[in-house]
Amino acid sequence: MIYNWKMIVLVAGLLLSEGHAMAQLEAGFSAGYVKNHIITSPGYRSFTRYEDKSSVTAGLVFRYRLNQWLAVEADPSYLQKRYELRRYGFFDGISRTNTNGYLLLPVMGHFSFGAEKLKGFVNMGGYGGWWMHGRIKGTMANVFGEESGSGALPGFLNIDPPYDYNEKYAFDKRRDRRIEWGLLAGAGLEYQLRNRFVFFAEARYYYSLSDQQKKYMLNQVPQYLDAYVLQAGCLFRFQDIFRKPVQ
Amino acid sequence: MKFSYKYLLPLLLIFFACRKEIPQLNEPDKYRITDFNQMFEAFWTGMNNNYVFWDIDTVNWDQMYRIYKPKFASLGRRDSPLAYAYLKEMTAGLIDHHYTIEFAKGLGLETISPSWDRKLTNPEFHIPIRGEFVASSQKYLDTFITAEVTADVTVNRRGVAVVSGIIPQKILYFHLTNFFLLDNIDYVDPDGVATLRSVMEYFFDNLTRSDLKGVIIDVRGNSGGDLRDLNFLLGRMINKPLFFGYTRSKSGNGRLDYSPWAPAFARPHRAGHALSVPIVVLTDANSVSMSEITAMAVKALPNGHIVGERTWGGMGPLTDNENFNGGQFCLDNFISLVHTSSLMFKYKDGNIYEGIGFPPDVTVPYNRALLDAGKDPQLEKAIEIIH
Repeated sequence: MIYNWKMIVLVAGLLLSEGHAMAQLEAGFSAGYVKNHIITSPGYRSFTRYEDKSSVTAGLVFRYRLNQWLAVEADPSYLQKRYELRRYGFFDGISRTNTNGYLLLPVMGHFSFGAEKLKGFVNMGGYGGWWMHGRIKGTMANVFGEESGSGALPGFLNIDPPYDYNEKYAFDKRRDRRIEWGLLAGAGLEYQLRNRFVFFAEARYYYSLSDQQKKYMLNQVPQYLDAYVLQAGCLFRFQDIFRKPVQ
Repeated sequence: MKFSYKYLLPLLLIFFACRKEIPQLNEPDKYRITDFNQMFEAFWTGMNNNYVFWDIDTVNWDQMYRIYKPKFASLGRRDSPLAYAYLKEMTAGLIDHHYTIEFAKGLGLETISPSWDRKLTNPEFHIPIRGEFVASSQKYLDTFITAEVTADVTVNRRGVAVVSGIIPQKILYFHLTNFFLLDNIDYVDPDGVATLRSVMEYFFDNLTRSDLKGVIIDVRGNSGGDLRDLNFLLGRMINKPLFFGYTRSKSGNGRLDYSPWAPAFARPHRAGHALSVPIVVLTDANSVSMSEITAMAVKALPNGHIVGERTWGGMGPLTDNENFNGGQFCLDNFISLVHTSSLMFKYKDGNIYEGIGFPPDVTVPYNRALLDAGKDPQLEKAIEIIH
């Protein structure tokens, strides 16, 4: 059965492709700005809310063109996901920002349209990722603080003094799901230069399908981290480099 | 082959694939409890989101839901005793040694205390007699001064009894029944005497004696109290912040959502100075909460010692639920207060002694017979250590 699937994929690839396989390959890099969006709930926690934060992404781009309008693309990349848990009102000043680093492998169909040099494109596909590391930075109230509460600080931090921290996130295997997967969609413009380079800019949305936490309790509030990405990059087109020049 | 948008449609359809729904979490005291099913939901939810020890507690709270949900659902309005029994069963194994469930007035139901019930099964357990050491210790004191502030709920005053004096051989002794010193420092008795302030001034003045040989702080039978008293008392004996452990709180609704560990310090008073003489804390099995915190802080000093018995094991500080988004909560009906810690405490050695108790350096068991005969072997051991 596996042998048959391989044959189907190979035949489909040959039917859809134009020219030599190596001539359709494009490879390069991209980097961009990320606006994260956390989907969860503070429940009935008083004066507490989650807030979205910005971060960055950078990675490689590998695109294999099947024909003029369709390519398959894989973008192994590093993407940061950040969010903040913030208290306000009387508890103003108490907050925690989580910064999580992921290794992502987005795989997508790249659909392009337009003129020869300037094209529009749409990407649609999915991604898998590994939550590599995390960091937490913030301020909390400390009942046994090293210094007494200061009149300069508002509210609760005047009673229990602040403790500032910036430390590595400690993974808990009972709780943390380190594998993430989801869907993605993007749209952008690409410009071909001298039939060798492709510059592109893209707005992409990563829609997480996996809860950041494993299911370990009843009535658990899930937590999803989506990302809106604005990125730009450059690809080198390997087309024709292995073709003998016409004489 | 021309580009066709129809290839995008299947991908768009699965784009809005299902995520788990975010459950509606209701604050426990917002449930309008009209039957035991509602009471159970409110109580179970409150514990699920606010109990601070799920990281180390062995009670399977999900299993409690599965077992007791149908039981509470089958109870009728007159089944209060059975509901009480079920609550006692559900909470019997909880590690929080501050944990109690108090019931609405008029129901005639005693407070549930899982730690108390477990202590009663210990053959070495002795019931605390608040204030007994106030009298017994005086037999060892050359000179002493006492004060008692009686509790008065009408003015929201919590009582405290203290004695301070000099044991021959120039040892300064101080005993307090609980930690409501700052709370009552301005209390004036009917004769116009600021009795507690007098005792505290006596104690603090004697700390500065040049011929002082040692200090004994007696927290036996002490039921704990105000966190501020740690700095008020110990702050006079140190001249720089004293690191002795860590605290952390809940940081979310998940049972395993925690803040980082914040280092815990005793802060020096502006008039504090570093004592070089031995400081011995006397503890017993009924030394709880602030008395344990104080003992552990003294133990963190190079000249600090603990004599007596392993403490109660209730070290998690308590405050209002909204302060640290966890801890105690109320219900609308039947249960008036679930009294539970707001923070976990970890000693500087990295161990959590909640439910276990902090061990003394030198174990001297409580001996009722000797105390009745006017002898206090625990106090005598403390004196011996200082010498």
